[in-house]
Amino acid sequence: MSSLKDRNITLQKAESRPIRATKRRRQLHLFFFSLGPVALCSISVLLIALMAILYVSQVGQAVASNQKIQQMHAQQMQLQRQNQDLQNSIATEQSPEYIANQAKQQGLVPADANTVQMLVVPHLHRIAQPDENVQP
Amino acid sequence: MSTDLRRARKRQMIIFLLVCCGMVTLLARLYYWQILRGQQLARYASEEHLQNQVLNAPRGVIYDAHGHLLATNVVRDDVYVEPVQFATDHQYSENRESELALLIHMLHEVLPEVSEDKLYRIFNTNLQTYRIAGPISPQQSQQLHQLHVQDVFLEPHPVRIYPGGDLAAQVLGYVTFDGKGLYGIEGQYDALLAGKPGNFTAETDLNGNPLTVGVSSGQPALNGANLTLTVDSNVQYMVQEALADMVKRVQASSGTVIVMDAHSGAIVAMAGVPSFDPNRYWAYSDQMGCLGDESVYFNPALYCAYEPGSTMKAVTMAAALDQGLITPNTTLNDPGYINFHDGTPTVTNWSREAYGTETMTQVLEHSANVGAAYVAYNILGPQRYYPYLERFGFAQISQIAGPEATGSYRSNTSSGWTPSDLARQAFGQSILATPLQMALAYQTIANGGVMMRPYIVAVVNDNGRVMTTQPQVKQRVISAETARLLTDMLVSAANYNKQATFPGYSVAVKTGTATTQGLPIDQTEASMAGFVPASNPRFVILVKIDRPQTTIYGSTAAGPLWRSIAQQLMLYYNVPPDLPSSLESTN
Repeated sequence: MSSLKDRNITLQKAESRPIRATKRRRQLHLFFFSLGPVALCSISVLLIALMAILYVSQVGQAVASNQKIQQMHAQQMQLQRQNQDLQNSIATEQSPEYIANQAKQQGLVPADANTVQMLVVPHLHRIAQPDENVQP
Repeated sequence: MSTDLRRARKRQMIIFLLVCCGMVTLLARLYYWQILRGQQLARYASEEHLQNQVLNAPRGVIYDAHGHLLATNVVRDDVYVEPVQFATDHQYSENRESELALLIHMLHEVLPEVSEDKLYRIFNTNLQTYRIAGPISPQQSQQLHQLHVQDVFLEPHPVRIYPGGDLAAQVLGYVTFDGKGLYGIEGQYDALLAGKPGNFTAETDLNGNPLTVGVSSGQPALNGANLTLTVDSNVQYMVQEALADMVKRVQASSGTVIVMDAHSGAIVAMAGVPSFDPNRYWAYSDQMGCLGDESVYFNPALYCAYEPGSTMKAVTMAAALDQGLITPNTTLNDPGYINFHDGTPTVTNWSREAYGTETMTQVLEHSANVGAAYVAYNILGPQRYYPYLERFGFAQISQIAGPEATGSYRSNTSSGWTPSDLARQAFGQSILATPLQMALAYQTIANGGVMMRPYIVAVVNDNGRVMTTQPQVKQRVISAETARLLTDMLVSAANYNKQATFPGYSVAVKTGTATTQGLPIDQTEASMAGFVPASNPRFVILVKIDRPQTTIYGSTAAGPLWRSIAQQLMLYYNVPPDLPSSLESTN
């Protein structure tokens, strides 16, 4: 049986419980720190701002990279175009018609096949395979 | 239940029904936007920030036998103007007319082919864009870039270029502005050369440029295959020039030359006159080749079928020799004509010349129609003659490079055939053959009786997958012994006439002077076919000159050209002489 004094103490404890619970709700524990609502809001805003900055920075870098890639792509296309033009120039200057015209301009005349004699020397052997990379 | 309560219940019911109606309406609209029009709206949304590009596949290039470019691609610009944009930009400008005049003057300076009047007319239209020139040269593109003029822009696009100009034009064909290959190799191998276009889908930035770092997808373009031909540019040029010169010299209407490797069947050169420049193919649309019958774009060596005339006598002799019915020394009496007992019209020699008793070799030396008709009609007969025409490949196509005629002849199984056909086919009338078919007949004789399948594409490189064409035997047509005997007969014919012979080399040739029914006798198709050196053949050469005017015979119109080409080939390929040369004989 409990005494009257004990019952009063029990009642006081029961009355004080809601006040403590309210206090606990108002002081949330983030990691090791106890933060109030204002601090929590501030930190949240800061975090969101930080993330936004990071995102904008990433997007900026992506756009810059994209522009660089596009510039390089345009440069590649330009170089390809120049390469094709150069190949065409080489092919044109290697064409028999171009060579013949150049030869004529320099005063050369076509060889007369009737004046050429081909001699067959028997028992000749090739001494060595000429190196195609060595220009005479 | 009280009255108030009933009223309240009624109000609740009305509100409930209204809410239900609202919900149903919302659901209906949701169904409309999400289900019925959902896909369309999603596509519109995607189109706002997604771009789909078609990636053009570079067309494959074409090389000659030495790896020199015969056909390649370059990028050239088309020039466009924006008349409406110019009008908008200068709507409130007081100097509009003077600025327009300055712009037109600058454009005309760079593009003299576009007149100032035409430019004025274009700028006074209500067109958004108008193509005024293209493709323009790289120098013109550079000049226009440097002008920095507004309302003018350049649109680059790939252009097919042939660095050799008209070199082997009829072999190559050409490519139209929309990238379609026509005629020749370009037409025959169009699917292989064209490749497969790819695509690229990507998010775009505000300027519409694709964001390569964003979401993207696509398929790369598959490049067209590169082709290497058996044609030697140097020989091709030499042949083309010599043919053009001869056609001009004898005032002929057209001409054809084929140079073929005697053992492999590879085409070394194939030329036709008149020809065209594939870089400016549109300028030749009204020009005709092949005796004025066909467009100049067709390759006459494949498409221009003709009556081969006396060059056919070698085939007639081959059939009789191969069946052991004659030898080179078999004789006949040739009074200059031959009559037939069944009413077949009389066959005569050229100018009705009589040769008396002559051997089969002399029949070829004299190019006697009587002897050839005698062999076909009296010795061979249709049962033993026509199988040989089929084995020699007449009236059959080769499919080597573009459009090709089949040629034709009437055999004893055809309707309308008469014995007259047999007698005339023996010396090359009443039969249509392409120059390639005639060249193949002589290739068979040169190659010991074995016909090779002709080919002009040596290597196909399809994105690293290399396919090399190997020489392929088509069939044995005559025995090796027959080929040897016939070669000797053709050498005798060449030495007898001397139009094709030259020091140091033995040649085996037969001339042909074909007349066409319904045309005057001096309107001939002069030809010469044969091979060199006769002892170890390297090249088969066929020369055909159509309607020569200054001289009408195969020996005099085609012979000199045949000899010139043969002589050049021997020098170019360092072929050792097979006869004692004049220099050696003098020592």
